[in-house]
Amino acid sequence: MTYPHTHAAGRRTGTSSRHGGRSAAPVPPQVPERRGPGGRRLLGVLLLVGLVASVLPWWLGTPAGSLRSTAATVTAAGRITGLIAGYLLLVQVLMMSRLPVLERWIGGEQMARWHRDVGATLLITVLAHMSLILVGYADLRNQSVVAEVGTLLGDYEDMVSAFVATGIMMTVGFSSIRAIRRALPYELWHTLHLSSYLVLLLGFGHQFTHGAQLYKPGPVRTGWIALYLLVVAALLWGRVIAPLAFNLRYRLRVADVVAESPDTISIYLTGERLGQLAMLGGQYFRWRFLTRGSWWHSRPFSVSAATNGRWLRLTVKIVGRHTADLRNLEPGTRVWAEGPSGTFTAAHRVRERTLLIAGGSGITPIRAMLEELPPGAALIYRASTPADVLLSRELDWLAQERDTSVWYVIGSRNDPGPRQVMSPDGLRQLVPDVARRDVYLCGPPGLVEQSVRALRRAGVPRRQIHLATFEL
Amino acid sequence: MRRAFLAITGLAASTTALVVFKGSPSATPVAQNLPTAQPVNPSGPGTDPSAAPDAPGTDPEAGAPTPSTSAGAPVSPKPGKTTARPSGTKATTKPPSAPRTTKAPQSTTRRVTGNGFDNEYGYVQVQIVVSGTRIIEAVALSLPSGGESDIHSGDVSNRYDGKGGEVVQKQNANLNTVSGATETSNSYKQSLRSAIEQAF
Repeated sequence: MTYPHTHAAGRRTGTSSRHGGRSAAPVPPQVPERRGPGGRRLLGVLLLVGLVASVLPWWLGTPAGSLRSTAATVTAAGRITGLIAGYLLLVQVLMMSRLPVLERWIGGEQMARWHRDVGATLLITVLAHMSLILVGYADLRNQSVVAEVGTLLGDYEDMVSAFVATGIMMTVGFSSIRAIRRALPYELWHTLHLSSYLVLLLGFGHQFTHGAQLYKPGPVRTGWIALYLLVVAALLWGRVIAPLAFNLRYRLRVADVVAESPDTISIYLTGERLGQLAMLGGQYFRWRFLTRGSWWHSRPFSVSAATNGRWLRLTVKIVGRHTADLRNLEPGTRVWAEGPSGTFTAAHRVRERTLLIAGGSGITPIRAMLEELPPGAALIYRASTPADVLLSRELDWLAQERDTSVWYVIGSRNDPGPRQVMSPDGLRQLVPDVARRDVYLCGPPGLVEQSVRALRRAGVPRRQIHLATFEL
Repeated sequence: MRRAFLAITGLAASTTALVVFKGSPSATPVAQNLPTAQPVNPSGPGTDPSAAPDAPGTDPEAGAPTPSTSAGAPVSPKPGKTTARPSGTKATTKPPSAPRTTKAPQSTTRRVTGNGFDNEYGYVQVQIVVSGTRIIEAVALSLPSGGESDIHSGDVSNRYDGKGGEVVQKQNANLNTVSGATETSNSYKQSLRSAIEQAF
């Protein structure tokens, strides 16, 4: 809608794809093995076992019938919530460690969703821990809660830092409430969120100086410290060592920047040893382009072609100032990449056949995946105007090579045509066996929401619906 | 978000459940003792009634006469200690331990839990492990905790508890008070005393 058709069409045909719309892969890549939900279930079980284990010392160390006064009961509840909170904090950090194993088993998107839910739980648990302990101790000492805060801060070691940690955690938690987060600039939110590492540090001391289950040397204390070390090791590995190793190995550089449409560009990258790069179509990296102005800015983009041993390509829609500078990347610019991440891949399908629904620039991961899907896939490509259709020559080629049905559905979402197609009946008409297919969705939030609703009504089970989300 | 809500509800519920289970009156120390104390009797039910009158630990002399009861059964290996006890000048309460040595020195061990005592810092309850007529181990099941109390309770526990602690060394409740933890030491002694009374 933003650009007149003629202009758009002219630009696109003139500039896109030096490679004649064909993949550079000599042979179509293999269909990857399915990964199945085993890893995710295993981790889920492990985390639950850990949760039980973290409360176990309290259970074993507290004699039955000893909680006779209100103060003792409240304090006991405060200890339980404290142990749970200490454990959940470690889980939170672990889930954001980007440990390659976790990325493989569960995937960054799922992890981010867990992180969100555990985060809300953690915040409530910490607040409960604080209030229960305060009330319990105040009752024990027959003083007001306010006076008890004074006592804790004044007379108890490590409690000042524990209170600061709680304050930081509350700031981080509240700034992540969806409505508030949307109102904040991303950089501010991100900086705030990074400060949660301080919580790990500042909250550490008081657990051991005052934790009824932890102050005594013994297996419990040792185990708790070991957990901390483990999580810090995972963090170092996932955030520092693994990316360092990756970038030293592949040494990515910008090879070329090509316009695909008036507001979309493709960035081609080359590097060393790309033939050994284990990446699945549909996955993304977090990219840093090492130029003076933007090296500090890490951006998640999907790779828009399956791995071919010679180059990587990202196709990016230019929206706003965050991506405008990408047009001017010089060939030769070094690139720092973290990844690959994501479970939006052929390996994560649960059925044999698939339906792909792309909206606008959401085609990029789907384009890469198409090369790795078993034949017989179906693709619905929604775009507002013909100018917004990207990579169409490649799609046409893949449709032939990989036996894929492609439908372009062009028009505003309120036009009768697209509305008909994107309804449950419309989907069933187009793809009669849609309920027995995996459905991969990538596009603007409106389209994704509408499609998920239609798919659910058309009888597609939730686990067969895959969404590409970089962040929440 | 829905899952977060479920998780929070679940955790709140399980925390409440844990506290309720541990705090439920049905599991009071008395009830707990019954099963553990019973194994004491099998050797001779007759001894049991006699133990009851002894019970008032406040009266040191009451226990003294009992040594006569020794039925010639092989005396337990620690006569030296037992003799010292009655003569001990400060002995306030401990007589029962010496006299009861008469019972066959079965090496069956049993656990006896003393009554719990509240003081202003928390709740104290002591359990002893008795082998024959000897206390071989003492454990504080509960001590005041939280903040500074943890440190003091730790001191108390380090001094009294265990297989080599002061309780085992002295074989009675005349323990030296731990400095800085007077209240807790006293409650400990009270609970220990009641455990010893039940055990012998």
